[in-house]
Amino acid sequence: MLTLLLAACGRNERMDALYAQRCLNCHGVTGRGDGPMAAALPVAPPDFRQTVEKKGNPQIRRAIAEGKGLMPAFDPALKPSEINDMLQMVRFLSREGRNVSWWEKFDALVVAHCSIPWEAVLGYEEPAAKGKP
Amino acid sequence: MRSWQSVGRCALVAVACMLALQLFPGEIRGHEIKQTAVERRQVNIPIADFTLVDQNGKPFQFKTLRGKVVVAAFAYTTCPDVCPLITAALRQVQSRLTKEERTESHLLTVTTDPEIDSPKVLAAYAKRYGAELGGWSFLTGDDAALRLVWKSFGVGVERKARGLVDHTPLTAIIDRQGVLRYAYIGPSPDVATLLGDVRSLMNERR
Repeated sequence: MLTLLLAACGRNERMDALYAQRCLNCHGVTGRGDGPMAAALPVAPPDFRQTVEKKGNPQIRRAIAEGKGLMPAFDPALKPSEINDMLQMVRFLSREGRNVSWWEKFDALVVAHCSIPWEAVLGYEEPAAKGKP
Repeated sequence: MRSWQSVGRCALVAVACMLALQLFPGEIRGHEIKQTAVERRQVNIPIADFTLVDQNGKPFQFKTLRGKVVVAAFAYTTCPDVCPLITAALRQVQSRLTKEERTESHLLTVTTDPEIDSPKVLAAYAKRYGAELGGWSFLTGDDAALRLVWKSFGVGVERKARGLVDHTPLTAIIDRQGVLRYAYIGPSPDVATLLGDVRSLMNERR
């Protein structure tokens, strides 16, 4: 059972395809913010390895769903499962080339199988900034 | 017994797949971006009247803008490449126009993805970009009505997936008589050049 649960947590082609279609232009192949469109943007996209570790899943999910800066709000076009796939990709890319904390290894399992917003339940979710996209 | 063996085989296959995915995540290939410099063309194409729906869900008739210089851009809200740059450029144009110039001009963003871009979605998009809606309308409509508008501006639109559309990245400037005079094709039209063209058309005799 645990194996089957874990099997659904790996990075897969569906996530890669989604990332390639919707994110790669700005965020780049490895999530370092060096995509082909990045140079044309007024603000450089973040390097996931430096910015994602300290962010909670609801915060990342909200940025994907509601947009941030020039990044589109994908909520009207994507299913919640696709937004989860994007979130997973952001996490996977953020871990490349750095030491991963033990608890981060369980994150994919939680995102894939658990719909409880633990950050909100435990009260440490960062609220959305008022009036900011 | 056999069923347990098949469960075991499935588990082994699942583990193997998981390891393969972790070890060989595959190379990501993005969709091709035709990022070229913005091309500016001087043209003379009368635009036929049309009626679409604005971000408030109300009918919007193009001919009500006669007498104003119109900057029209074609974009969609979930666009992952050029549209954010085009909308940001329009926002800068709007913010740099003087109060008097704003009364003599109007900005339009016409969606290329009516499947996603409802008036509500467009209203949220406009708010995110800080558009001053007295002088900027975000238009959608049914597919047939939009196709006519795209055609009259020479904009090609091809749906790739839900919320993913290939389209001509056109920003157009239309004179007071409803004639398309300048066409910018590309990801990020230069704001100073756009403003210069808008002002030159404002200064033409009425």
